[in-house]
Amino acid sequence: MFLIYRLLSALLLCLLLSLSACKPGDPSASASHALVFAISQAPLNLDPRYATDAASERLNRLLYQSLVVLADDGKPLASLAAWQQLSPLIYRFTLIKNRPAFHYHQTAGQKSKIRLVNAYDVKATYDSLITLSDSPHSAEFSNVKNIIVQDEVSLLFHLKKEDGHFPAKLLLGILPVELIKKRHDFAHFPVGSGPLVLLDSHNKWRLQRISDGQRITLIEVKDPTVRMLKLLHAEVDLIQGDLPPESVRYLQSKPTLQVKTSEGVNFSYLGLNMQDAQLKQLKVRQALAHAIDREAIIKKAMLSHTRLGGAILPPEHYLQQQVLPAYRYDPALARRLLLEAGVSLPMKLVYKTSTDAQRVRLATILQAQMRTAGIDLEIRSLDWATFFAEIKHGNFQLYGLTWVGVKTPAIYSQAFASSSVPPHGFNRGRYQDAVLDPLLIKEDWLAVTQRIHQQLPYIPLWYEGQFAAMGKSIQNYSPKADGNWDDLATISAYAH
Amino acid sequence: MIKRLLSFCTVVFGVLSLTFLLIHLVPGDPVEVMLGESASLADREALRADLGLNQPIAKQFGSYLSRLAHADFGVSIHTKTPIIALIKTRYPATLKLACLALLIGVGIGVPLGVYAALKAGHWQDLLVTIISVRLSAMPAFWLGPMLMLIFAVWLGYLPVSGMDSPSSIVLPALTLGFGLSAILTRMTRTSLLEVLNDDFIRTARAKGLSEPQVILHHALRAALLPIITIVGLQMGSLLAGTVITETIFSWDGVGRLLVESIEKRDYPVTQACVLLVALSYVVVNLVTDLLYRWADPRIKLAH
Repeated sequence: MFLIYRLLSALLLCLLLSLSACKPGDPSASASHALVFAISQAPLNLDPRYATDAASERLNRLLYQSLVVLADDGKPLASLAAWQQLSPLIYRFTLIKNRPAFHYHQTAGQKSKIRLVNAYDVKATYDSLITLSDSPHSAEFSNVKNIIVQDEVSLLFHLKKEDGHFPAKLLLGILPVELIKKRHDFAHFPVGSGPLVLLDSHNKWRLQRISDGQRITLIEVKDPTVRMLKLLHAEVDLIQGDLPPESVRYLQSKPTLQVKTSEGVNFSYLGLNMQDAQLKQLKVRQALAHAIDREAIIKKAMLSHTRLGGAILPPEHYLQQQVLPAYRYDPALARRLLLEAGVSLPMKLVYKTSTDAQRVRLATILQAQMRTAGIDLEIRSLDWATFFAEIKHGNFQLYGLTWVGVKTPAIYSQAFASSSVPPHGFNRGRYQDAVLDPLLIKEDWLAVTQRIHQQLPYIPLWYEGQFAAMGKSIQNYSPKADGNWDDLATISAYAH
Repeated sequence: MIKRLLSFCTVVFGVLSLTFLLIHLVPGDPVEVMLGESASLADREALRADLGLNQPIAKQFGSYLSRLAHADFGVSIHTKTPIIALIKTRYPATLKLACLALLIGVGIGVPLGVYAALKAGHWQDLLVTIISVRLSAMPAFWLGPMLMLIFAVWLGYLPVSGMDSPSSIVLPALTLGFGLSAILTRMTRTSLLEVLNDDFIRTARAKGLSEPQVILHHALRAALLPIITIVGLQMGSLLAGTVITETIFSWDGVGRLLVESIEKRDYPVTQACVLLVALSYVVVNLVTDLLYRWADPRIKLAH
């Protein structure tokens, strides 16, 4: 018996000793070397010709420079190059004088090499993209007939068909021509002319800012609670997005942290299957729109700065410029509309969503609200890949998704044109509208958004607010409307 | 021995074919994940052909088995990294975590179980029972963050997650070890209580042996069989990669690799991970059988 006691005491002592031997972390020490940014999803591919996931796109904006950038209102602005439309089918791009340089990787025993971006790089980048059979972006440039370099700094893009929004498409990071020819592995060893350069990417992404040598490390922490705890423990300096609102409010109450919020442009919506016998009736879709109390959800279950949404492009977009009337919450009206449509109540619908905790919570709120309108919503949460595959294959009645980083009106053609049903586009609801199609061809975007808002091929929800939480010492970083990480180019930490 | 080898092959083949079939049945494929929605149909077909995914399932399975017979696990569809290299980097991390978790589980569970058995019916027994039931009811996705909150955020002794320092392993190992210790406590208590009333224990006491000698040399050894079974099964599942714990603690082991590969529909990596899991179970079962023989020499492997 005595032995057992001794064994237990020894075990407890060992445990306590091992714990006390661990030194508490010294947050300031780590922050002085590299700023650590915890992200929810790791970048999958740092070759801009292949990247499709949000994390890769956000990081690539910092590693590479593109010919054009889009302003907050969606207007294309010159970045590496200014442009001129010489004819409906020809655009001339001229590289700016003080353009940034490529920063090549430093290999053992060699000094890093730099050189200015030139027109040959631009041509090689877009030529290689167009010819790649396995790039998700190549189809977007199928309208390019050829690219002709005039000199070191200017080149012509010849198009097959007129495209008034062509410059707004040239957002791809420019790659150095000699490495394209060598089939360099940009996915793992990016060489660009952006403000940051990647030092290595083994489990974490260690970056260095070219202007002042500031190190920034990205680490992937999938679990939102763990991300929050790491910030509280000062193991990381910054987190952004992908956190439930109550966690954000908790962080806001912490005196050692600062939480910045801003309006967002990422548009959340309920997707509808327009081939479904019930959902193809306009009155049923209107009933769904009136069955959701969006204002209450925004107030109680969303981040601050979340605002009601009417269309994919936000009202401040230069091609939108109209406020669409909101569908007010009126369960009695919703019930009446359903009865008028000849639906027997309660109407049963299946709602598919991902396994993300916040998405599942929103689904349960929708379920409760719709019940009062006579709609019996069954929730099915699926892992992301399965969920998205189901949506693309049209195996759904209702689903919830968010359009992220959309800045050009071309999205309306891709999402609602009759010809854009997957795999030819994003028309996941299989919406066919003989009135809308000509409007899309005419690019009459105001009329397009009005028609979509009236016909409801989706139920608009909101533009989710953005937030970034960081240590008090962090400066020059604010969340951006589309959730990009552009401020990593300016972020700094002052010493305590 | 031949029988054992045959059953080993059957298990592995069953696992291989089931995994292959199931992963191909689940909606979504690597081409969709890689190319996204804006890719053209021609590009999709080209990539599908390039990856061999346009072949009939039976043919794909046949060529997979043939590659496997040549110890060729293939390359990751997404990263193009040889899978054997991926596993070589991930498996040691899982092994390290599993061993420490097992050590913690056995180190806490067995002594507590013995203590509870010796104090059967007393308040100490009740207390141990309550603790072990509570621990076994705590899922890793709850216990992990709780341990982080206490030991990392409040006390500041340990890092929250990651693999940056040697102490990073403590919290994930405790998360796994506590769960295991709860099972072992219950099992040790029950098993020991059955043995403690046997004649040979009474004889040992009558011979004048001290209580620790009776418990450790006679009773505990006789009670070991079910404990070994549980330890073996748990070790198998620990080596299989503890998916939730590795994900929560950003521990780069096989479990996390498996989750990532499923998310990306990286078929070859998923298949290799599942094969590794199956092999781990088979090997641990074999070791468990050998330990049976050590614990009770009356047991012969041939039986």
